[in-house]
Amino acid sequence: MKKIAIIFITITALCGCKKFVEPGLENNGKYENIYEEPLLANGLLLNGYTRIPTNGWTFTDVATDDAVSNDRNNNFTKVATGQWTASFNPLDQWTNSKAAIQYLNMFLTEADKVVFDAQNPLLNQMFKDRLKGEAYGLRALFSFYMLQAHAGKAGGTLYGYPILLTPETPTSDFNQPRAKFEDCMQQIYNDLNRAEELLPLDYRDITSASEIPAKYKGTVAETYNRVFGRLFSQRMTARIAKAIRAKGALMAASPAYAGGSTTTWANAADAAAAVIDLNGGLNGLAANGLTWYAGGSGNQIDGLGSGANPAEILWRTSIGQNSDLEADHFPPTLSGLGRLNPTQNLVNAFPALNGYPVDNTSSNYSPAAPYTNRDPRLAAYIVLNGSTAGPANTVIYTATDRNTNDGLNKVETSTRTGYYMRKLLRQDVNRNSSSISNQKHYRPHIRYTEIYLDYAEAANEALGPLANGSHAYSAYDVIKKIRQRAGIGLSNGDAYLESVKSDQSAMRTLIRNERRLELCFEGFRFWDLRRWNAGLNEAATGVNISQTNYLPITVESRSYQNFMIYGPVPYSETLKFNALQQNSGW
Amino acid sequence: MKYLKIGMVWCFLLALITSVARGQDTVNITINAIVRGQYGALINGARVSNEGSGIETKTNEVGAFSLNAPLNARLTITAQGYTPALVPVSDTLKQISLVKEALFVPVAYRKVAETELLGGVSTVNYKSIFEKNFSTYGLDGLEAFAAGYNGNIWGMNSYLVIIDGVPRDVDNIMPSEIDQITFLKSAAAVALYGSRGAKGVVLITTKRGDGNGQKIKVRGNAGINVPKGYPKYLGSAEYMSLYNEARNNDGLTPLYSQEDIYNHAAGTNPYRYPNVDYYSSEYLKKSFNRYDITTEISGGNERARYYTNVGFWSAGSLLNFGSAKTNNTNDRVNIRGNVDMQLTSFLKARADVSAVFYSGRGVNTDYWGSAATLRPNRFTPLIPLSAIESTDAPSQVIANGSSNIVNGQYLLGGTQLDQTNPFAAIYAGGSTKSISRQFQFTTGVDADLNRVLKGLTFSTTLGIDYLNSYNQGYSNGYTVYQPNWTTYNGKDVINTLTPYGTDTRSGIQNISNSRIRQTVSFSGQFNYNTSIANKHNISALLVGAAYRQSQSAEYQSTTNSNTGLQVGYNYKKKYYADFTGAIVYSPRFLDNKAYGFSPTASVGWRLSEESFLKNSSFVNNLKLTASAGILYTDLDVNGYYYYQSIYTQQQGSYYSWNDGTLSQTFDSRRGNNEALTFAKRREISLGLEGAFFNNALSFSANVFRNQMVDNAVQNAFLFPSYFSVFNSSFIPYVNINADQRTGFDLNLNLHKRSGEVDWILGATATYYTTKAIKRTEGFTDVYQNRQGKPLDAIFGLQNDGFYMSAAEATAANSGTGVAQPAFGQVKAGDIKYKDINGDRVINNQDEVYLGRNGQFGSPLTLGVNLTTRWKNFTFFALATGRYGAKGIKNSPYYWVDGQDKYSEVVRNRWTEATKNTATFPRLTTLAGDNNFRNSDFWLFSTNRFDLSKVQLSYDLPEGSLKGKLFKSVGMYVTGFNLLTVAKEREFLEMSIGSAPQTRFYNVGVKAGF
Repeated sequence: MKKIAIIFITITALCGCKKFVEPGLENNGKYENIYEEPLLANGLLLNGYTRIPTNGWTFTDVATDDAVSNDRNNNFTKVATGQWTASFNPLDQWTNSKAAIQYLNMFLTEADKVVFDAQNPLLNQMFKDRLKGEAYGLRALFSFYMLQAHAGKAGGTLYGYPILLTPETPTSDFNQPRAKFEDCMQQIYNDLNRAEELLPLDYRDITSASEIPAKYKGTVAETYNRVFGRLFSQRMTARIAKAIRAKGALMAASPAYAGGSTTTWANAADAAAAVIDLNGGLNGLAANGLTWYAGGSGNQIDGLGSGANPAEILWRTSIGQNSDLEADHFPPTLSGLGRLNPTQNLVNAFPALNGYPVDNTSSNYSPAAPYTNRDPRLAAYIVLNGSTAGPANTVIYTATDRNTNDGLNKVETSTRTGYYMRKLLRQDVNRNSSSISNQKHYRPHIRYTEIYLDYAEAANEALGPLANGSHAYSAYDVIKKIRQRAGIGLSNGDAYLESVKSDQSAMRTLIRNERRLELCFEGFRFWDLRRWNAGLNEAATGVNISQTNYLPITVESRSYQNFMIYGPVPYSETLKFNALQQNSGW
Repeated sequence: MKYLKIGMVWCFLLALITSVARGQDTVNITINAIVRGQYGALINGARVSNEGSGIETKTNEVGAFSLNAPLNARLTITAQGYTPALVPVSDTLKQISLVKEALFVPVAYRKVAETELLGGVSTVNYKSIFEKNFSTYGLDGLEAFAAGYNGNIWGMNSYLVIIDGVPRDVDNIMPSEIDQITFLKSAAAVALYGSRGAKGVVLITTKRGDGNGQKIKVRGNAGINVPKGYPKYLGSAEYMSLYNEARNNDGLTPLYSQEDIYNHAAGTNPYRYPNVDYYSSEYLKKSFNRYDITTEISGGNERARYYTNVGFWSAGSLLNFGSAKTNNTNDRVNIRGNVDMQLTSFLKARADVSAVFYSGRGVNTDYWGSAATLRPNRFTPLIPLSAIESTDAPSQVIANGSSNIVNGQYLLGGTQLDQTNPFAAIYAGGSTKSISRQFQFTTGVDADLNRVLKGLTFSTTLGIDYLNSYNQGYSNGYTVYQPNWTTYNGKDVINTLTPYGTDTRSGIQNISNSRIRQTVSFSGQFNYNTSIANKHNISALLVGAAYRQSQSAEYQSTTNSNTGLQVGYNYKKKYYADFTGAIVYSPRFLDNKAYGFSPTASVGWRLSEESFLKNSSFVNNLKLTASAGILYTDLDVNGYYYYQSIYTQQQGSYYSWNDGTLSQTFDSRRGNNEALTFAKRREISLGLEGAFFNNALSFSANVFRNQMVDNAVQNAFLFPSYFSVFNSSFIPYVNINADQRTGFDLNLNLHKRSGEVDWILGATATYYTTKAIKRTEGFTDVYQNRQGKPLDAIFGLQNDGFYMSAAEATAANSGTGVAQPAFGQVKAGDIKYKDINGDRVINNQDEVYLGRNGQFGSPLTLGVNLTTRWKNFTFFALATGRYGAKGIKNSPYYWVDGQDKYSEVVRNRWTEATKNTATFPRLTTLAGDNNFRNSDFWLFSTNRFDLSKVQLSYDLPEGSLKGKLFKSVGMYVTGFNLLTVAKEREFLEMSIGSAPQTRFYNVGVKAGF
């Protein structure tokens, strides 16, 4: 008996081990917490915001004829030089956008159960409306990016992506076919309509209750401002939703998608005009819009804050004090990595100062002095041999006889084309390791210039260069304005523009070229070329400068295949889900 | 500092020596006796000695000896293979019988006679091997002694190290401290260690005192490490020419002029035209030293026994310039002591303490890493002040501003792109000392519960370990200078100097990487042994054990707890049956999923005891064993609460609006699966052991198959890609994957005496295969599925030579007539791959299984150890062989592209002229994506045979030490890693980007007092 007792006591003691090995409590959150804590519900919605592709810079331009990278492991370089496949797709939006849409769907499904304000039912409703509006607007934005990167033809039909309006769970049936492109566009428009219904045009503080929309009548201005006031600027608004519609409609009307879409050029022009009209029409084009990123006088960035937008900017990220972009793209002698190297192709696309393209004899272009008498945007956007850059106005020599690290191919951080990027960079940043100084930067999500160019392109197609249609301005008017702002053709009344203004086709070429110049290095061209069914395989060229000899060089070939007008559906997903049709060719 | 430590050790020693050197004088008598062994056999060569009086003799051919000894002095009689006997001197002493040595092997929570083991265990009598096989690391070369151990145990991917009953680090114990090492391999052998031990256990016991008078042993070693070989990089001129060739291949113009290349080649002004060789004697020593000294003191009597080990070692490094000259040593001091006390007739207590102090001094740069990347022509490490134009006042001013003038005559060199570099860092960047301290404390009580139940004992062990490490040092900023040279009057002079960076000395000591680890471990156990009528032998063991290891900066601890039961029975040591099981609890699972019962059963049959073999003249032992079991383990579930879905704002991404309002996202981190539970190791194994020809030949072998099933994974294949992205996952952990391992191990020992020479030959073999038996996947091409392939499978493309002409490459690029590569445009001299799936595109889908990488140990591991003794000389050699694994030559040494440093392999590159003999693709300054990817082009066999150790020892004849201070003196020379035989020897012996592998030559002296 005694023996048994001892053994029993021992076993009991051993079972005490359980306490000894028990883990510490982890404050692991539960999904249900969102109903009581609006901050968490808002956190679901923020999963949309944090995934906006334009939160950071993505230099897809190096996969086009506009630029190359001196980073031999740049993924976009790999895409351009023949490595783009369904299993290697650095331009993939499938994962990022679908992740965003999943969280937005979760928010939209739950929003009505969340208590945003327990005291005031109207305030609660206003919060709900605004946040749901934001979610609809963002869902449309991600759907746009999904279509841009993955829409394509399979068996002659233009497909988009499987439309999902409710969140998926681990037990969902994931094997869903892709919806038609048109259905995806209609879903985008629906979401944008909902967003516009629910959101104010802009977030601003009102002072009088009379400004409160009818549906919220009975509340006071202070309460209204708690939901729709200035503090929420840079979040989704009705104005942004309209701009997304303009972007989407332009894409859907473009040659690559027109066959599978009911959106017309006229629709696209209307959508863009709706935004332009809100911006004061033709005269709303910001005079300093060309160098919206620069500091110094005439630009507002240093004084910017509290969510206020400069005239050029429709939607942007918050301001950050940093110098990452300069660290990557300054020439080596300014302690940068010289990453993005604009091509000779792009340099050649800048017209002469008198507005004529350089291959036009009237341009007075001289191959022996290629950078004189040129469009001022050339020197503003691109570091040319012998130009100055950086806080101390250092002269940058890309010529090979100058023996500086900035010279063509001199070291691993030197240019491969004879040019460095100047646009987007603040020259008052110092990257010298002994005295690094940062400056304010932001990243535009949508610039007004883009919308003006959208209008010009769509109106030219829908109405011809000179017709106004139902709007107060024509494609010609917009392009003239943009070229004036750039400072070209000022001496001769922009004779070149006048010479082509009646020729729709010549105007198309001109509008596309202006778009190329105005939006260079901002990630547009890769998609524009595809939208236009344009040639993708223009080899990237550069220039080898020695004294006054400008020797053209081929820097990098482009090896896209014809089907690469459309991007691929991820290979991994087609493996897993056989209902997903792959685009032809991939 | 290091002399201080050595001094301390010596003082300690001398104090002890003086205390034990004392004389004796009593009445002596003469004894004539014989020594007998098993079955009355007369033993030749048994050693008879008396500790203390220095008396010693050996028995002759008829087992007889004669000596003169003090009355009642205790004689120790030892003979190979027998348990030492201790007899008092008396005039009636005529015959001494020795009992056959039954080596007791530590296994889980107990010791078992080696002959009673039921397979799945390898044991190494480390203490005795160490006497002929000097080592610097505990598990060094044990592949050649312990079958089944190949760096892992039976090819599993980890093992638990238990030192004196507590989970501890194997690299924190010195070989001289080790008594025995047991490798617990089979499921049955490890079951009592519960969940954390389920993949194998290495059980190390440290030395303890014996009750046989005080012994002091001192051992000192000194040796040199000599690098086996350095990577061979091209010099400046050759690099520059070939880089030009690479640019030409890419359709680009040359970068370096012929004049430049000539100047670098000529070497007349290495400061202007550098040709830096990181492996030259300018920067490195030919060898570096290691020395150590260890003192062991043990002794005691029936009531109390003690053991102490005090050791010190120090090793240098190869770097030989700047601050590396003085900051290049690693020192370690250890003190270990243990005491065993017989408190009462039934109660024993033990206490062990160990302290280790380690300090390593180094420089603030990764010299070897830089040596593998920085090109030789890039910059000169030093710039002579004398080269600065004397009339160039601005440069003189700049130079004088430097606070780092090396040897009074050089400035630190660098460039705009090399503002920090390893040379400048070693000359001026400061130094760091890494410090680690470890304290271990183990205590236990053993109670004999005979009064409760005959044969019942109880013992308990408590271990508390404490480890603390940190780095301290000074980190200085420095200015490097880029010279601009010109030729003036036919002389090279520097006309401008561009400084980069600033000289800074903060004077503040940085403390970093501070880490604390604590282990608390305890166990309690009942053991029961009884024998009924000398036929039925019964043993039983009930144990409860738990440990908890917590680390700084880790919120959760690693824990293990289980209750184990072992019941054994044998009938006349002929038929054996054993049940070992454990109830394991894992806090990583929920409710009833957190408990598992791991049963194992073993049976044994000693055939040699059966009548048909019992009288065999040559079979001494033959035993067949079989065992099977299922073990529950949470080893591969690396955290807690994995069964829970988590939605959290913690570590969510921030989003900012209104230029500064910040909020965090609310993310799902994983899906919910409350059914998450243990993985199971299911195993069957068979064993056979035998001894023949009077035990001259013995072997033991095991065959095993085990399956690790229900491994928990987040299974991405079942869900869309967006279900698992950065910081967000909706995928639950589920028990799904299953792996299988099958193999055998074999241990063979041969003893032979021919004339005066005694031979012992040991050989081991460990072979295993692995297979993924369950995976969720669905590759289009079935040959890509991982299921059915080895766990350590290498997948890659199959090469088909090079594209031999521009036309062939062009055709490939456009896909006309041949498969089109998807890794970028190819040119002549690029590697051509086979289109395995015939889709006319060469891409990742054409990757096939290429071989095993030996991640868990080479498929076949062989070991040989040989000992020969002649008179007082002992020769020992240890060799290992590793076969069957493949590797990919994917280091930048082989995959030379872009701005990489060029190694000698590029000499055999493809060019139009060498297209038929080339072994390396064409050079490129781009990324080389087509060529530098996994393929059989880069595949090589890692097969190797290593002569790891050779030692020649000489022990002074004991007779010559009679009456001297020393009781024994020995010396030895040892060579480590002397020889490697392998097809890829040069590559295998080369370290790229890390400190070189070395051969080590050691001389040692040992003495006993």
